Amino acid sequence: MDNASQTAERSDSAVARGGSAPPAISVRHLRMGYGERVLLDDASFDVQRGEIMVILGGSGCGKSSLMKNIIGLYQPMAGDILIAGKSIVNTRPAEKALLQRSLGVMYQSGALFGSLNVLENVRFPLDQFTDLGLDEKNLTSRMLLHQVEMAYAESLMPGELSGGMLKRAGIARAMALGCDILLLDEPSAGLDPITAANLDRTILNLRKGLGFTFIVVTHELQSIFAVADRAIMLDPVSRSIIAEGKPADLRDHNTDPRVRQFFNRQPDKAVQQAQG
Amino acid sequence: MTTAKSVGSDASIVLEGRITAYTAGPVWQAALDTLAKNPNRPVVVDAARLEHIDDVGIAFLFDLLRQQRPPTAKVEITNLSPGFAALVAGYDPKDFVQPPKVRQRIGVFEQMGRATEAQIAYAEQMVDFLGDCARAVWGAIRRPGSNRWGEILDIATEAGANAVPIVLLVGFLMGVIIAFQIGLVAQQFGAVIYVVNGVGVAMLRELGPLMTAIVVAGRTGAAFAAQIGTQKVNEEVNAITTFGVNPIQFLVLPRLIAATLVVPLLAILADVVGIFGGALVMVGFNIGFVQFYNQLLGAVSAGDFVIGIVKAAAFGLAIAVIGCERGLATGAGATSVGLSTTSAVVTSIVVIVVIDGIFTIFTS
Repeated sequence: MDNASQTAERSDSAVARGGSAPPAISVRHLRMGYGERVLLDDASFDVQRGEIMVILGGSGCGKSSLMKNIIGLYQPMAGDILIAGKSIVNTRPAEKALLQRSLGVMYQSGALFGSLNVLENVRFPLDQFTDLGLDEKNLTSRMLLHQVEMAYAESLMPGELSGGMLKRAGIARAMALGCDILLLDEPSAGLDPITAANLDRTILNLRKGLGFTFIVVTHELQSIFAVADRAIMLDPVSRSIIAEGKPADLRDHNTDPRVRQFFNRQPDKAVQQAQG
Repeated sequence: MTTAKSVGSDASIVLEGRITAYTAGPVWQAALDTLAKNPNRPVVVDAARLEHIDDVGIAFLFDLLRQQRPPTAKVEITNLSPGFAALVAGYDPKDFVQPPKVRQRIGVFEQMGRATEAQIAYAEQMVDFLGDCARAVWGAIRRPGSNRWGEILDIATEAGANAVPIVLLVGFLMGVIIAFQIGLVAQQFGAVIYVVNGVGVAMLRELGPLMTAIVVAGRTGAAFAAQIGTQKVNEEVNAITTFGVNPIQFLVLPRLIAATLVVPLLAILADVVGIFGGALVMVGFNIGFVQFYNQLLGAVSAGDFVIGIVKAAAFGLAIAVIGCERGLATGAGATSVGLSTTSAVVTSIVVIVVIDGIFTIFTS
């Protein structure tokens, strides 16, 4: 089975699982940016349950900012963002905190707490929000580390980890509270090909086994084709979503020169020539 | 919700509903209790009515299966959906036999030993660093044109001009406090006029430079350590080194020169406003400004002023050396930057007091 048909099958099954339930994440007419500077205007898209959606685009187009709007760290300029049908924008702080807790987030750097070792970092959400005993929390945390192939590093401090290890431990921590919506910011950026492929496999295993929904911010083409059911592409000039669809379709059939340039890794001059 | 019951020679656990991070605690404990109460009987875990499990739920089921029990008393999970069963089967109990390593708490004596060892290492580092700084300063004196005067001016502005308000406030209040406290005592002996002598000498020789140095240590010394520490963490120091540039000359020397020049200037401001604060208080003790001025001229000498200024320069040099050294000694991660910053401030203040003591001994 080729990549495109695999992706199509994944996407169809994801939508089927979604059923009549509200989308895991729904972005409605979003305008976001910093101060007066608008990065994205009138953006709308849904992420269905069990789907792996990739947000892609060149550096500085607002991918990470969009993710931070979705998880409620930044306030949009306009529009709304719904998590399982509930607005994270127009809500009281206590409800917003509950919605945020239902999202597992891995930040670009892993964002592990420097004063705790890896196991304690992964256990941290369980310590804060559950009434499990220490043995149970340790077992759960170690199994999470096992899932991301970090079991051997459980006693290390964050300062002793490589970039890839930090990211994988960050994913394990994001999963600790059983969140079924995970947002990953540049998970494979800066990783060696084997570690990046392992991470992609981890994402697919989690979706297959536990039905997780993923939003992955990335511009790593190999990872996009390996994991994504669907992708949206942001453009910093038009400040809009310029393409949405299955990655293989975008690569093979999209006529927008910016999309073709991205998927074919063409330098700027080639696009200018194509535009005439 | 979970229920446990014994039927004939078997015991069973019935799992229902959703078992998640938020609900698993009591279920897990109840199931383990059931196993403990039936150590020699097979236990069947019926998962037919289990609707949903998350990572914690998977850990729970895995924990039940991995329990060490006799061959005739195994735990069996029935009616578990194939998806969940596959997830549980993905783990090997052998991988989780060893308990996690517990971080060793450090005892008092070990802590003392480590601290002593660290201080000895720090002293060695500091000697090396001072040697490097001395070479850099000698180079700067021999070739003044090679110094980055623009950078030095920027650092001096940040460390000096931006610190003026706080130095003025602290200096003024020191003068007020000293005059008031000594004045109250001196009034009882009819020696109020000599309070002027006390305020003048104390501000010029001690409090002006000392308080200025403490403010600069907290402000600028910490900033030096944090800036250079962050550059170290971001590998900027490595980049400087691989360009063939000496980090001491590039990062440290401008800060040494700026701090050594700026602290005496700030100390002069502190002296002036401190004495002015003292004069204001003395008005309340019926000592007018003119009388205060005349008494002050007779009480302090140019030597007092010069000693204070030289001392302030030494404080500035020490603050910059310690701040920069702590910055360059920063390890990996944000925590290390915080530790370096704290260490820079504490060490600077201790060293300032030591230098002050040495000056007092040799200039009294």
